[in-house]
Amino acid sequence: MGKFLLLAFRNVFRNRRRTMMTLFMVGGGVAGLLLVGGFFSFMFWGLREHTINSGLGHLQIFSAEHFNRDEARVLDTGIDNWRQVAASVKIGGHVRGVAPRIEFYGMVSNGDKSSVFMGSAVDPAAENSLGFSTRFASGRDLDSKPGGEVEALIGTGLAKSINVKVGDGLTVLAMTSDGALNGVDVQIVGIVNNGIAEIDARYLRITLASAQRLLQSDRVTNLVVGLDNTENTEKVAAELAPRLRNFQQPLVIKKWIELATYYKQVRSLFSTVFVFLGVIVFFMVLMSSVNTLLMTMFERTREIGTMLAMGTPRAWIVALFMLEATIIGTLGAIAGVAAGNLLGTLVNHSGLHLPPPPGFTDAMNFRVLHVPSLMIGSSLLVIVSLALASIFPAIRASRLKIAEALSHV
Amino acid sequence: MEEIVNVETVSRSFPLDDGPARHPAHSFVSALTNASLRVTAGEFLAISGPSGSGKTTLLNLIGCIDQPTAGRILIDGVDTSKLQLASMSKLRREKIGFVFQTFNLIPVFTAAENVEYPLLVQGVNGSERRRRVAEALESVGLSARAQQRPDLLSGGERQRVAVARAIVHRPALVLADEPTANLDTHNATQLIDLMHGLNRELGLTFIFSTHDARLLEHTERIIRLCDGEVVSDHSTEGGSRG
Repeated sequence: MGKFLLLAFRNVFRNRRRTMMTLFMVGGGVAGLLLVGGFFSFMFWGLREHTINSGLGHLQIFSAEHFNRDEARVLDTGIDNWRQVAASVKIGGHVRGVAPRIEFYGMVSNGDKSSVFMGSAVDPAAENSLGFSTRFASGRDLDSKPGGEVEALIGTGLAKSINVKVGDGLTVLAMTSDGALNGVDVQIVGIVNNGIAEIDARYLRITLASAQRLLQSDRVTNLVVGLDNTENTEKVAAELAPRLRNFQQPLVIKKWIELATYYKQVRSLFSTVFVFLGVIVFFMVLMSSVNTLLMTMFERTREIGTMLAMGTPRAWIVALFMLEATIIGTLGAIAGVAAGNLLGTLVNHSGLHLPPPPGFTDAMNFRVLHVPSLMIGSSLLVIVSLALASIFPAIRASRLKIAEALSHV
Repeated sequence: MEEIVNVETVSRSFPLDDGPARHPAHSFVSALTNASLRVTAGEFLAISGPSGSGKTTLLNLIGCIDQPTAGRILIDGVDTSKLQLASMSKLRREKIGFVFQTFNLIPVFTAAENVEYPLLVQGVNGSERRRRVAEALESVGLSARAQQRPDLLSGGERQRVAVARAIVHRPALVLADEPTANLDTHNATQLIDLMHGLNRELGLTFIFSTHDARLLEHTERIIRLCDGEVVSDHSTEGGSRG
């Protein structure tokens, strides 16, 4: 076996220029996949963390009835004794904090113009403790101290559509729990830029206490749980589920991935693009390698004839060609992984930026993650493509007529 | 003496390239017609004749790397016409050694590795392989060149490596197709003497083809072919057999 492997290895370097060309092609394919895959991974990671830290949190707790709610009266299905629930959640490991929220809808007006909004009522101190970042175009965050004028943050799009700025007053209208329309005057203390135009066009945020007064209820719609690390989401969700069953009101836990619709759509789209690229690389390597390996076979016709004449089993000839192709694939994959990582590191240090993706307003960093599973996957892809590419030339070589092969010029 | 080769009225014809559609009456060309010969163990036999006389065809048939269109060939008592491809391959592996006109050494192997190859195919273990390779290279006088690759050897040395490769597994029969065609007279004579010496010392049966009349002086039995037919079977010691 050792000699056979040695023969295959030496055959690979018999025509160095051709082998280098093949290695260049295979390595280029792997490096390309690593760069694209590494960039997509960075994008997924960035989008995931941005989604979580923009307020989604790692876990959210709802009443079981929440998903059958009447959107005009969201607190009808809210969590009753949310303070006890929050306390129960906080005693678990990996939990950084719990923030109560009321997600509600209504109208906002400055007297001249009005618009619908998607409101979010928060406890600013709890939000800050979770590190949920709010990006201000102007102004400041909500004041967590009670009393005084009701403060509000609105999105850049909404501010533009109703033509208001920091310091202006607005009237917020929403439906109370018993079905009456209620209103509250608020003062704009900050204009928020979430980076997603559709959200900024409807964004309004007030304090939890203000919203509970407006909606005339002590309930909240959900509790947002922040963890120390996204990787702990599954573990904490599993630990939390039995504790929540102790409460009389049926509660459900949703993991961030279940709520991050946009993230899932982006990931699905780019994963499909990446698979498509992988298929292209697979066929590119396959087709060009078949040609190269056929040339190799023709050049070695007499040698193969000699080996067959000496009683070499035909299966050995097939194995020899496949082994040579696998060696080329492996060397190409190693070169590709090295080149891909090197190029990735250079890109990461270059400080390159890309234009904002669709729906976003900010340019994004061009960074490439070094993902071990991607390196293994891309390497296996090219090794398998080369092994498959060698089957046809290998079988052809093994079926040569010995007498004809020996007289081949 | 034990019979190693028995060729019984063997013919071999080849289809013409342009096929029977164009020339239905001349769709095949006959390379060998009703050839018969018997070779006993330990013989040193030359097949001679001009180019195109059927020497290579006959050697290919005896070597089981081609099959006759008529007749049958027995190697060491085995009827090769009844063998499957795998059995034919096994027969070649175990009972036949080949020396080719163009040496046909594996260029990426050293001389020793080339000689080792038939043993590798037979599954002989490493230490036994090394011992037999050393013996074979010594018997052809190339121990000092064992680690050289073929491209660093002269033509005569390459052919001696090929001879060592052909005898390393102690085959019942060594076939050499024009082994001296690419050698000068000095090297050619040396090679024939080497093969003859191995024939005498090891008792190996040698059949080689040549069209060089000078080399035939070193041979005990000469079979002459002309236009695919055996025209004479002449023994320098025992007289004519054909």
